[in-house]
Amino acid sequence: MLPATAAALAVLAALLAWPVPALLGRARWPRRDPLVALVCWQAIGLAGGLSIIGALLVHGLAPWGHSLPEAGWAVLTGHPARDPVRGDHWVTLTLAAVLAAELLGVLALSWVRTARTRRRHRELLELVVQPSAAAPDARLLEHPAPVAFCIPGARPLLVLSSGMVAELDDGQLAAVVAHERAHLAEHHHLYLLPFVAWEAALPVLPAAGRAHAAVRELVEMRADDRALASLAVPDPRRTLAQAIVVAAGGASGGVPDGALAVGGSAVGVRVLRLLDPPAPLPAPARAAALLTAGLLLLVPTVLLLAPAL
Amino acid sequence: MASLGDLERTVMDVLWGADGPVAATELRDALADRDLALTTVHTVLSRLEGKGFVEHDDARPRRFRPRASRAEHAAELMHEVLGQAGDRQAVLARFVGGVDPEEARLLRQLLEGSAPDARAR
Repeated sequence: MLPATAAALAVLAALLAWPVPALLGRARWPRRDPLVALVCWQAIGLAGGLSIIGALLVHGLAPWGHSLPEAGWAVLTGHPARDPVRGDHWVTLTLAAVLAAELLGVLALSWVRTARTRRRHRELLELVVQPSAAAPDARLLEHPAPVAFCIPGARPLLVLSSGMVAELDDGQLAAVVAHERAHLAEHHHLYLLPFVAWEAALPVLPAAGRAHAAVRELVEMRADDRALASLAVPDPRRTLAQAIVVAAGGASGGVPDGALAVGGSAVGVRVLRLLDPPAPLPAPARAAALLTAGLLLLVPTVLLLAPAL
Repeated sequence: MASLGDLERTVMDVLWGADGPVAATELRDALADRDLALTTVHTVLSRLEGKGFVEHDDARPRRFRPRASRAEHAAELMHEVLGQAGDRQAVLARFVGGVDPEEARLLRQLLEGSAPDARAR
């Protein structure tokens, strides 16, 4: 019997499914250090999945052994259960299998779907748009709306609309390009992938949507920070903020998507953060946050592998 | 040696510039400066057909034409990007989403208020 371990994992899963993401989502320190906050969110997502599936497995496999590795080995080698296997053991085992399959399946599915969409976009772009001489990875798309974006992948592409180029001066344009390059250089799309999967797999879990939104926002802030570091203009913060405001204001007309209104406040936060930068996180706080993230991953792993309590 | 992507773009440019459907031999002649073999032209055309950019008619020899204009393709792409249709993640890094006009006005004010020289934009 492994009741204490299963209970501990279930408690951890419950904490990670609701209060912890709610707290981190509301905290103000992440905008002071987006990278550390991103690490924390990854740990929450991973530890959450590990503990919920682990709790179900540990309970379901309890009749077969005193620890999860021992019980798992007994099942795989066809040893009979030493304790009677009740209905609730089968139910939790089934739930564990369904949840694991759903999470991994959705992850794989969104990976494939995303790759297909990106390939389509890249094909369209490479056909419609001439490579720019100045930057081989940047393309100029004829369109009046001021838009910039990048397509991550093995052959990343950075796209500026002619509207964007017309609206911005050279320094602002450099800021936009530096921001997009930062996304590509740090592979920010990979940070987002697990949260896309979580949200798609568990739409009933409000924390999944909140986590996804928070990670999107943090990734933008992180790209802003990286862009600032590489800009050689007199006032990089103002320059980038101006570019954001011009791009946001210009694209608002005639975009038929309600979801953009939600992004609105995120744009405001970014501009405020650039104009009135919060103090960077002190080193001890950074270390504490990273340590917490490490512990979040360590605790369910130890609970899963250690002999039953 | 030009890349296939480069050739595809060149062929599309010819097709987009033509008045009507174009045969493969005419394409080869139009791109005479590139000294392409007819098989190469066919390869490029079938790749473009596979991607859904080109279609052919039933005449003999077959003649090819673009399925949509360059502007239509650009508009399709921008529509997907602006609407974030499909997987939200696919185009990860649109620089900023739009904001409603009221917030845009507030942000512009903020920017002007914080300007060292109060430069109006």
